[in-house]
Amino acid sequence: MRTSAHILERILLYFLLTGMTVLMSFPLLWMISSSLKTLEETNAPGIIWIPAHPTFQAYMRLFQNSDFLRAYFNTVFYTALALTGTLISIAFVAYAFSRVEWPGKNLVFFLMLSTMMIPPQALIVPQYVFFNKLNWVGTFKPLIIPGFFAGGAAMVFLLRQAMAQIPKELDEAAFVDGASHLQIWWEIVMPLMKTPLATVATFLFVGFWNNLLTPLMYLQTVDLYTLPVYVSTLYNINLTVQQWPTIMAAAVLTTVPLMVVFFFSQRFILEGVVVSGLKG
Amino acid sequence: MLRNPYLDTLITAGLTVLFIILTSYGLAALARQIQRWRGASPKLQQDTFAGYLFAAPWITGFLIFVVFPLAASLYWSFTDYRIAAGVSPKWVGFSNYLHLLLKDTNFRASIVNTLFLVVVGLPLQIGVALFLAVILNQKARGEKVFRMAFYLPVILGFNAAVLLCWRLMLNTGTGIINQILRAISRAFPPFDYLLRAGIFVQELISAVFLGIGSGKFNLLMKIWEAGFPPPNRVPLWIQSPLWSKTSVILLMIWGCGAMMMIFLAGLNNIPRELHEAAEVDGATRSQRFWKITFPLLTPYIFYNLVVGTINTLQIFEPIYVLYRDNQPLVPSAISMVYYLWQVSFRHFEIGMGSAISWLIMILILIVTVIQFRLQNRWVTYELY
Repeated sequence: MRTSAHILERILLYFLLTGMTVLMSFPLLWMISSSLKTLEETNAPGIIWIPAHPTFQAYMRLFQNSDFLRAYFNTVFYTALALTGTLISIAFVAYAFSRVEWPGKNLVFFLMLSTMMIPPQALIVPQYVFFNKLNWVGTFKPLIIPGFFAGGAAMVFLLRQAMAQIPKELDEAAFVDGASHLQIWWEIVMPLMKTPLATVATFLFVGFWNNLLTPLMYLQTVDLYTLPVYVSTLYNINLTVQQWPTIMAAAVLTTVPLMVVFFFSQRFILEGVVVSGLKG
Repeated sequence: MLRNPYLDTLITAGLTVLFIILTSYGLAALARQIQRWRGASPKLQQDTFAGYLFAAPWITGFLIFVVFPLAASLYWSFTDYRIAAGVSPKWVGFSNYLHLLLKDTNFRASIVNTLFLVVVGLPLQIGVALFLAVILNQKARGEKVFRMAFYLPVILGFNAAVLLCWRLMLNTGTGIINQILRAISRAFPPFDYLLRAGIFVQELISAVFLGIGSGKFNLLMKIWEAGFPPPNRVPLWIQSPLWSKTSVILLMIWGCGAMMMIFLAGLNNIPRELHEAAEVDGATRSQRFWKITFPLLTPYIFYNLVVGTINTLQIFEPIYVLYRDNQPLVPSAISMVYYLWQVSFRHFEIGMGSAISWLIMILILIVTVIQFRLQNRWVTYELY
């Protein structure tokens, strides 16, 4: 009796899990399916799960669209530069908070944690005016440069927690051998930080890649648009019939790098989220 | 002069690195010099130098990108400052704040809309996250694949491209979501009753909030008089002011994966012995959940509630992608941050924008403090 109830329960569980998985990944599946449809099919009443004659026309059109290709290049360029600068500076700053004893450390650390309470929106307006004064509006610089100053207290905190777990004896032995803090940072601490660095890098990558608000404010010409901004202009509110296949093909191409990064780093992220309680 | 924007950016990035190195070294050398004057030991002098050298990028960034902007925006929030006009700020005292709090109906609507998301959407989001975590915690095969699938929306969720896909799915007539609802209703009549009941309740709640925002409750009366929705009614996701916020809630629920991960961590921390002992004593499954699991999860619920509230109060992307310039719907959908963006970067009213951002900050602070004050009443840190 007990076993048959148990089996029934298991079946129900897998049914629930599979159902939820389908629901959660449905937008993604629908995006792919719609990108392969014709314009008539996307606007037709009635459900067309899989297009009768899948067509790659929308992708072909995008590959010939120089604005889209440039937006893609812009996103890769800005993300790569911002990610490199931010990651290095965060790793640098995390070292100060985990492996060196210096007067004022606790106060500065407390200040850093309290910046997590300031909503980024409160800083948007004055930063815009500041960058406007520097003549940086209409360039990539406002999106990239702030990160070079270890932007993102949450990420510093995550990395600091990981760094604090390395035994202190390692540094002390290196000190005796005459190594400097810079050498210890680069040659001893950093090689041990590969997993946490991968976690932080993934979070930063996702953040930069998905960023819509700041590029929207600072990149004011089409030739500088990043993907989220450009893709959102594909949806033209003045048209009654939207070019859904093209929009969805662009959406698929925008999503692919995120999927790839998530696929390769998911085991770090899923641990990292639990450790730090961060949102991606 | 025509310049290559990429090269320009690279040069600035290089100069920034140089600037950071110089200021870091300067700050560290200054700190060491102070220690030397105070007669500290060579070891302390060295550690002070290293500590400030490594922390300096953040310290300079904090001064440039946080302290200075906050001070500036506090000042501007008391001025009339339109950046497009090219005139300097004019001191107006509290008039920006008074205007926003007393006269600006758009701002009031944006607060009520955002509160709707917090009061109605957030509990649903936390509930679904808890549900997913509990069923994932049953140790099923392929747990990792399911976990990945549930977390994926967090990674994709706030990309404009994916949000546009939701725009396509939510279309009232031809959108896939309503098509599926219609198909199920036709095949399975009890579902139609359930759906209509859901629609009725949803529209009533939404109308109450719209009434609070606008001060007029005629929409609520209209829905009440129309009564129970007729057969085959479908939700009007992005067509009706009564539904605009509910669509955003749907997106919030879809992105509950991050909360789910926190709950999974919490579930893992519950000692097995407690459940085993209760089972021996004959406690049923639901008794065990409500008497053991749930109380021990309250700290995690509290964490998700605080972080979730802050995130919800800052929502922007979904509103922008779904309702940007969708004129009749904008007042029913705008969030506080969307309004901030509109005032600052559409109308370039920097003074007013600064005042809005300070009000958002104060509101977030108040809500967070209230949540911490109330936590003793319901958060259990120990069971025995």
